Amino acid sequence: MSNVAGKAYGMNVLTPLRWWTALWQKLIFWVVVKTFPYFLKGLLTLSLIHYARWTIINRWSFPRLDKTQPKETLTYSYMLFESNFNGSWDQYIDSFSFAIPGGLDMFWRWNIKYPKSIPLHDFYHYIRFNQIECDHYYNAYPLASANDVKSAKRLTGNLRSFADSLTDNMTDEAFMDAYRQFLADNQHALGSMGDSPLMSTSHQLVQHHKQVNTAHEKQPEEEA
Amino acid sequence: MANTFGNSYGLTTLCPIINGRHNNTALDKITRRRIQLLKENSASPFARIPNTYFARLFILNDVFFEQGNDVARDHLKSKYLVFTSNFHGDLDTYLSGMWQHAEAEIRHIWQHAVAFNNVQNEKDFIAYIKKCQLTTSLFFNGSTDDTLQDQLKSLYIKQAFTEFALTHQGKTAAQLRAAFNQFIRQVDIHNPVSPAWSPGQETLSDLNPLQQR
Repeated sequence: MSNVAGKAYGMNVLTPLRWWTALWQKLIFWVVVKTFPYFLKGLLTLSLIHYARWTIINRWSFPRLDKTQPKETLTYSYMLFESNFNGSWDQYIDSFSFAIPGGLDMFWRWNIKYPKSIPLHDFYHYIRFNQIECDHYYNAYPLASANDVKSAKRLTGNLRSFADSLTDNMTDEAFMDAYRQFLADNQHALGSMGDSPLMSTSHQLVQHHKQVNTAHEKQPEEEA
Repeated sequence: MANTFGNSYGLTTLCPIINGRHNNTALDKITRRRIQLLKENSASPFARIPNTYFARLFILNDVFFEQGNDVARDHLKSKYLVFTSNFHGDLDTYLSGMWQHAEAEIRHIWQHAVAFNNVQNEKDFIAYIKKCQLTTSLFFNGSTDDTLQDQLKSLYIKQAFTEFALTHQGKTAAQLRAAFNQFIRQVDIHNPVSPAWSPGQETLSDLNPLQQR
């Protein structure tokens, strides 16, 4: 149970907005989708997000599956924001606020009590107050960042092409030159992966308990 | 409006939980406890479900926000099990894979969800999740939309080749060429299945077997 799975942090933020502004917000998202990548360029630049999404839940569209389930009677519609990113909560909020303040304001401007992304302190408070913790969070590659996934794809494609381009009649020296050129061209994709650095004292505590519990599980039964 | 981004899919669902109690414990609390006790990383049920990049579960108890005298106060009449997933491919295939690879966990987690007692098989489950689904308004993919297997193979190659480059500095041209040819054969570079990272893998792959083959 944690918002952290390896190098990824899972964030959930639920904020209210008036039902008619929710329709405007949907229109804004539609425009963003149609004009991509112009509006999302800032997000791409941040380069620390695996996947993120905004979902408008109209006040009348909370799922009701049976007549025995009470019908919701809400004043507001809601926006659920979810992100899977690398780094700590603070780093993420800072990056968002400094890199794309205009984009943030465009996405949240209709939300009740949204303080705007600058000054940062109020924005911090707003996100923290409206955040919901994950009860289970799964990441298929805990040891890798979003940049690792992207660079691994580039490296593997290039390595396949390089390996396929080699011929038997090539001299060893020609191979060496080509290999060095390959390394130089792909140096940005080379790098070690592994455990995430500890992001906070609570993260440190979780890791410590995991290690203790794992060691305990490995004890032979008679010693446990 | 935007559940997809290339070949990646962003699934968002809110599944209402029955307002009731079992042995004096509220059903939403029982559900939360079950979710919290799921094993993590490679032992998570999501590691068995094909093409899952990321997934999460949490309980939405109520709506809440900074209050003030100038705004109304909403409260939900049901609590919701929120299940969201980022995966490769189409929804039906993904949900089929979910049922086929984690039916026991699905039955355990969703046991107290409204109308889940009508779910008897894979087809029912797909229909059920679709009833709980909300359309994503804006979905952003900052990673790749390849199959998970391709992503995991690439990550393995990245780890292995970085190690190769480090450990083969200072070799003669002939030694390097022989070692490189052997490396390419051993990592089976065109085979997406093996050797590769496994879903949810928590430690780097042991490359020693690679050196000894």
